[in-house]
Parts: sequence; C-alpha cells; structure tokens
Amino acid sequence: MQNMESSEEPLLNFVFAFGKAHMSNKSQRPDQDPEIVVLYCQHGLRDEAKGSAWYQESAGLSVRAEMMPCSSKIEVSHILKLLESGADAVEVVACPEKSCKYLVGSLRAERRIEYIRGLLEKIGYAPQRVGISHKLSQSPEQLIDLARARADAVRPFGVNPMKKGE
Amino acid sequence: MIFAEWKPLDELIDKLKTHKKVLLVGCATCVAECAAGGEKEVETLAPLLRMALKKRDHSVEIVTATLEKQCEWEFIEQLAHQVTEVDAIMSIACGIGVQALAERFDPITVYPGVNTSALTIREEAGLWATRCAACGDCILGETFGYCPVARCAKSLLNGPCGGTRKDGKCEVNGDVDCIWNLIVERADERGQLESLSEFKKAKDWSNSRHGGPKRVIREDLRQ
Repeated sequence: MQNMESSEEPLLNFVFAFGKAHMSNKSQRPDQDPEIVVLYCQHGLRDEAKGSAWYQESAGLSVRAEMMPCSSKIEVSHILKLLESGADAVEVVACPEKSCKYLVGSLRAERRIEYIRGLLEKIGYAPQRVGISHKLSQSPEQLIDLARARADAVRPFGVNPMKKGE
Repeated sequence: MIFAEWKPLDELIDKLKTHKKVLLVGCATCVAECAAGGEKEVETLAPLLRMALKKRDHSVEIVTATLEKQCEWEFIEQLAHQVTEVDAIMSIACGIGVQALAERFDPITVYPGVNTSALTIREEAGLWATRCAACGDCILGETFGYCPVARCAKSLLNGPCGGTRKDGKCEVNGDVDCIWNLIVERADERGQLESLSEFKKAKDWSNSRHGGPKRVIREDLRQ
C-alpha cells in the first residue's frame, strides 16, 4: 500500500486557507447562495479533470473543491473547522466501498461522517450539513451536481449560523 | 491507560457560556490513546464548542493547547503565558491533569471536559476494556493473569457467582467474558486447577481507596 502520510498537508492547508479567507471576508451576507465544500478522493474525479483545488460559482451556489489522496484522510476536525469557518455544508466524495484502493478508506470516511453528524445534532446543527457520496471517475459537472444536492438538503435550515453577525 | 470520555456537550457549553476567553487544554498521553483528550480531540472539540456557543449567541473565544503530559509540572509550566490571557480553562486530560492545572493556575477556574472512568487496554480499534482497578494488592499471580477485581461485575475473589452463561459470558453483560470462566479455563489448560482451591488470605484493601488518599514517599528519590 502507498504511504499516504505525505499527502495530508494539502488538505490541512486547504482547511486553513478556507478559514483564513472567510475570517477576512466580513462582508459575507447571510442571504447569499449556499457555499458547499466538496472533498473528493483522487479516484472520484476523471483523470483529465484532476487538479488540487478549484472554485466555481454555479447557478444558486458556490462550490469549493479539494482533492484528497483518499477519503480516509479526512479528520473530524477538518470538517468541523470548515463548518466553523462558514461553509454551509461539506460533501465528501469517497469511492464505493469495494473499489477503495486502500481497502477500508471509504468505510472509515463513512463512519467519521456519521460521527460528525451525531456531534452536529448534539449542538443543534442540522446533520445534513455533512454528507458523503460513493462515486468513481466523476466529471467536474457531476461533482457540482453532488454539491447542488447537498445545498438543496441544507437550504431548509438556512445559512450556517457561523455566518451570522460577522 | 487512564480512560476518559467527553462530558455531554450541553454540560460543557453551559460551563463556558459566561466566560470571555477560554483555554482548552489537551494531554498527549493516556487520554490521547483513548481518543478523548489528545491534540486531535482538542482540535475537534474547539470548533464544536465555538459553533455551539455562537449558535446560542454567546461570545466566547476559545484558544487551544496540548501538553505532552498534564500531570508533570515541567510541561504544565508551558501554559503560563497563555493563562494570563484567559478567564477560564477547560482541561480534557484525566482528573490528575485537571487538578494540576487548578493548583498551578489558582485562582483561574479549571473545568473538566471529560469524565475519567477506568484503567483500560485498547482491545481493538474503537474498543477499550477495563483491565485494572488500582486496588493496591495485586493478585494476578494467583488468578492466571486475569483480574477479577476489575473484570468481574461483582469483583468476586473466590470463583464465579453462578450466573455465568452457557457461552462463558457474564450474566450482567452478555458481551463480556465471565472472568472466572477464563481463570478456570487457563488454570485447567496449565494443569493447575487445584491451585484455585488453595486457602487465600483475606485481601488487604487498605492500600486501595478504602485506606484513604494515597501519599507515597520514596526517600531515595527525594531531593
């Protein structure tokens, strides 16, 4: 199996940069389009579309995406920090369970997402703010569709309360 | 390892809501091993508390630190500069760490963020089980390496209670082995079953909590 440890830094940098960008953006309006972060396994996107991070505004939502070596590299703290920084929702795109190159990576990711959803519920946040899809070789448009589905799931709960009163 | 678990989040939020700035402190030793109070858990709990407090319209700043050990004064001293800037501390170390911070940084309030509950081993990923009760009079040499004080629901010292299930599990919890069943099986495997019938002196509980708070002096180590 490949050593994944060296590939952890880009995700941490992304979480940090996302937070920093939002901390400085005090003009963010609570009524703006949902902002969805998509964290996708490197195998979740077609080869020709692969890149590290990208940002796209689509009709009715904005999407920030970051590629990971494996969905299991996502820590609970990464997702909570993204939500704390103002993301309205986070969608993790992991491999189907039997297709995971690291055997149990997507299963671990799924369990962590369930754990996070439980934590969110305990503090009064909609657990729908975090979701996971199991997909392989998606196009960027398909990732945006997943983000849109996540946005639709959280829209009834309003903006992330962390955005209010900034 | 010393085992601890997060207190209910509502309880933590209730403690912090009246403060302006709080230092959340972890410990990278036992409570990190049991995934309750290490650096990873500090970095998980901090955003969670910030989100919960913000949602409830409480303006509380939370800063973080994780010490290598919260039960050693040399490590605790590293917090001295941060503590001057906060009006409360929440420790997610075991009760030893919480008390050490409260002693060193008096009169700042130190809240426990975890409940310390047992001395455990990690049996497998995500599963911890009690192994020791710190009873102060170890009998593991007589019980074939299994501790009935910590691992029998009734802490029986003279054999099974009679409620052992047919599959060898405890009558109190069907997921847990009857420890006396394991003791007897191992004694039998080693051909030493008779040793369990030998007369044993009454256990000396005076060296456990029953004897009052422990205070140990080793003159050879004192300065």
